[in-house]
Amino acid sequence: MIMTHPGLPWGWELAVWAVMLLLTLRALYRPVAANPGQWRYTLTRLPGLGALVRYATRHPGPLLVLKVFSVALFLLVIVAGLAGSPIPERNIATALTWNLWWTGLIVSVFFLGSAWCAVCPWDTLADWLVKHRLWRRAPAERSLNLRVPIQLRNILPALLLFIGLTWLELGVGVTTNPYATASIALLMLVLATVSLALFERKAFCRYFCPVGRTIGFYAQLAPVELRPISTDVCSTCTTLDCYHGNADIEPCPTHLVMGRISQNTYCTSCGHCAQSCPHENIAWRLRPPGTEASQDARPHWDEAWFMLGLLALTLFHGLTMMPFWESWMTGLARRIGDSGQLLWSFSIGLTVSLVVPIGVYALAVWLTQRLVRVSLPFSRLFARLAFVAVPLAFAYHLAHNLNHLVRENDGLAALFTNPLGNGALPLSMAEKHARHLHLLIPQDMLFALQAGLMMLGFYLAVEVIRRRSMGLTVNQGAASRLRLLPLLAFTLLIHATSLWLLAQPMIMRM
Amino acid sequence: MKHLKTVVLFVLWLWTLPALAHHVLGRPSYSLNEDSNTPPSMQMETQIGDYFVNYMVYPAFPRPNEPGRINLYVNHLDGSAPFAGKVTFRVRDDSWFSRHEETIGEQAPDDNVFRQGFVFSKKGDYIITAAFEADGQPYLIDFPLRIGQPSPVGPLGISVAVLLSVLIGVSLIQRRRLMRGKIRAAHEEQAR
Repeated sequence: MIMTHPGLPWGWELAVWAVMLLLTLRALYRPVAANPGQWRYTLTRLPGLGALVRYATRHPGPLLVLKVFSVALFLLVIVAGLAGSPIPERNIATALTWNLWWTGLIVSVFFLGSAWCAVCPWDTLADWLVKHRLWRRAPAERSLNLRVPIQLRNILPALLLFIGLTWLELGVGVTTNPYATASIALLMLVLATVSLALFERKAFCRYFCPVGRTIGFYAQLAPVELRPISTDVCSTCTTLDCYHGNADIEPCPTHLVMGRISQNTYCTSCGHCAQSCPHENIAWRLRPPGTEASQDARPHWDEAWFMLGLLALTLFHGLTMMPFWESWMTGLARRIGDSGQLLWSFSIGLTVSLVVPIGVYALAVWLTQRLVRVSLPFSRLFARLAFVAVPLAFAYHLAHNLNHLVRENDGLAALFTNPLGNGALPLSMAEKHARHLHLLIPQDMLFALQAGLMMLGFYLAVEVIRRRSMGLTVNQGAASRLRLLPLLAFTLLIHATSLWLLAQPMIMRM
Repeated sequence: MKHLKTVVLFVLWLWTLPALAHHVLGRPSYSLNEDSNTPPSMQMETQIGDYFVNYMVYPAFPRPNEPGRINLYVNHLDGSAPFAGKVTFRVRDDSWFSRHEETIGEQAPDDNVFRQGFVFSKKGDYIITAAFEADGQPYLIDFPLRIGQPSPVGPLGISVAVLLSVLIGVSLIQRRRLMRGKIRAAHEEQAR
């Protein structure tokens, strides 16, 4: 029997629609403020907690403790997945990976930016295996330090891996298979380690890791950033320890120079820059969410494809968890003569889900180009405006994942008493119902949070369009702002689809 | 334009392809009925053509040489009498590069249930196909069946082997590089 979670009530749906329409009208009729709020608050100045933040940022000890903990959990997932029970809800490998980590990870970006990357077990284990050091800088000859081939020096490999992971996750059904879950975890470890052994710095984190790049793009909207306290100090710095490292501390794993950093996308929050800076000039800061996506981040062609791919795959995740998805797939399978796990039908569904939103976006950009009559090439405009995909994807991803996180993690603590699920029986119907009814927070609060996230996401998306369109004659009067209509229509269409998906009953994962 | 034509032709081809048989997705779920003494079963229910099909496999995780049983229920969607014809059960090896298929039995309904026993001697992944014909249309229902637990050594062994060979390879290359550097430095020293 398939069990479903209730969708967002129509009252909340209407409220989100009202906000969406108001924000669209505001975008059309109100000029963009020339100088938006640029406030920043350095966390080391926090009364009482500031010293703790400073210690945690500048000393490797606290991070090392967290890394050891994360590696221990990772090894538990491997052991439980390979040697434990095949019942997904009784094995900690599937429950911890898909119910807690994969869903909680996206929620963590909302508060902590790319903090997960700093304790990532794939990278930590790869470091320990290749460099034979817990945290100190290792001799350069531990790795071949080859340069990544120029064809791979972009994030399209990460996008392809992300599509591949989605295919495995939703098509092959890895989320309900502890053995396959552990196998994929091992595969990622092998990729991270081989990459570290062959290439200079952390090529895996920079170019290949689909999880890291997803976090990186979502972190553009995070309210935290690791940045120089004073850019004047950086402009007079001659040693660039943040980039090169020092005798004890490794260099920046993703080739970032703190004096010039303008976006979180490639920052892994490892803190090497803060630990190596001789001027103690690097600190965590609070900032208004969304300013990076709307103005600070620089547009790149490959990044645009990743952002749009992220949006399409996020919507696709939601679509496959709808009760009607299986009948769609069965119908398609009957047409094309597919059988077994229906992987051909699934692959066609995945391809269509990728092509449609990206095609609609390309059409909106093409229309905008025609309307604003700028000499900017299509590819430049495509890359410049693609940032709109980030808040749209993040808002829906967060709202969707909240459902999983709040409704499917009851009983997780009990799994630690028998992590391999030895001798455990599948959940009985009574247990399934009990789990279904027991939410970690009240249901009304969940709905309010989901609706709030959708409103915030739409607001940020509209802000991205407004600010990224500055210079495209937008500030030359109300009539010129009407030229934003294609992009606003794209945003409305995508967000309305997300909202509709959120309002549908969603199949309970396990 | 050429690509567009290809896409349109492909879509039209998909659309006009005759539906030779009904196939369904075999994504099982495991369940336990707390009111009965039966062991955990793997089960799936689906709608296919004019029929609602429910199948169960006992036990949920059969092992090699352990007898198991498939129970198949086929009911017409309009709620009339259950399907009364015969159902043929076939099995094929689902591992890569293997398409060996054999029939394991043909069953008539017994109290409206099509029961098919099985014993597999080798562990592995299999696809069970239940086939029947109704109203002149063929119906095929595929579902996966795993016999025995997969070996934990497989992925772990491959990962360890790959990691060791890469790490040892890198170490050897770096040693040769260092040695070559030392020899070159010594030659330069001698030349001076």
